[in-house]
Amino acid sequence: MIQPLRNTHRRIFLALALLLPALFLSGIAFRHTWPVSAKSKSPTLGSVPPGATR
Amino acid sequence: MSHQYQAIGWNRQKRVYDVVVLAAVMLYIALFIGLGALLFPYATAETLIIRAAGSAAFLLLHVVLCIGPLCRLDSRFLPLLYNRRHLGVVTFLLGAVHGIFAIIQFHSLGDKDPLVSLLTSNENFRSLPDFPFQQLGFLALLILFLMAATSHDFWLRNLTPPIWKTLHMLVYVAYALLIGHVTLGLLQSETSPVLAVVTGAGLVTVLSLHLAAGSRERTVDLKELNPAGKGFVDACSVESIPEKCAAVVSVSGERVAIFKFDGKISAISNVCRHQNGPLGEGKIIDGCVTCPWHGYQYLPETGGSPPPFTEKVSTFQTQIVDGRVWIDPKPKAPGTRVEPSKISVSGVSS
Repeated sequence: MIQPLRNTHRRIFLALALLLPALFLSGIAFRHTWPVSAKSKSPTLGSVPPGATR
Repeated sequence: MSHQYQAIGWNRQKRVYDVVVLAAVMLYIALFIGLGALLFPYATAETLIIRAAGSAAFLLLHVVLCIGPLCRLDSRFLPLLYNRRHLGVVTFLLGAVHGIFAIIQFHSLGDKDPLVSLLTSNENFRSLPDFPFQQLGFLALLILFLMAATSHDFWLRNLTPPIWKTLHMLVYVAYALLIGHVTLGLLQSETSPVLAVVTGAGLVTVLSLHLAAGSRERTVDLKELNPAGKGFVDACSVESIPEKCAAVVSVSGERVAIFKFDGKISAISNVCRHQNGPLGEGKIIDGCVTCPWHGYQYLPETGGSPPPFTEKVSTFQTQIVDGRVWIDPKPKAPGTRVEPSKISVSGVSS
């Protein structure tokens, strides 16, 4: 009764151990590069204000 | 295990557990909003509430997911497991606050119904940085609602433990959705690496703990017992079992808890009828095997709960030969009385 659940659980985590780091790292790698305010010459291209949401 | 209906069987431990959880959550939210208002003057009150509730829910979900494997790896964490369902309900409530405020802030000012707007305003499913992350959070919230709504023992009893457990495994889907929600949402606009590092560390912690606990469980499951005489298998030595505790072995694909108590040996199924808790990791208290998760009790000779309770688990015939415990791999029907094997000086059971 319980061993199939344990096996399912193990398989789920083996899959998650592959998928989630890939999703996380891809999400970080391909994210938008926001302009940095100190280097920006245009006042309209300032960095995202701290605390602002998308 | 109540013979008289109570919505929640409150006791001191549950009250202390809940008070500590609620105090910690309130403190976290107060600190988050207070510091957020000081450090980020651009942020509105709604934004701070959205982030405080969302981050608290995400953090709490990590705690909930870590408790299970931590208990498998070290029994000192067992007290955290006792009221874990309440943690899950609090996680859902915090997620609901986050979701409701987010829908009000971002989707309630247009012509569309807010829910329609939530589900249709962004359909860039092919773009990773512009992915509709809010839908992921919405799906995760639906799963958390389903779990919170069925967390009561009423549902556990009616759905039966295996189905209830399977249903509640959806928490891993919710977790995956929330990793996507955070990574493709908040972390896309966040310029500081701190949140990405914290999220990554949380992910690594959850995955590592579950993989480590799973690997340890598999070792027990794969250990094959040597056949003994008369259809029995050689389970373990009598000496290896601590008094009033159990050795757990895997027999015919299921686990059996072999208890030693008062000069006797009895074997019952390792699976508690309540939530499939590991009976073999419990102790014999007041003559009863006591589940370490929620305290359900069974008589070691019969596998039945003491009256007026009615739960029953399978029992197994045992023999003691030359200081070794032999066990019949065929389980008796739940509640069947099996005479305990007496530990004699000569090492042969009477």
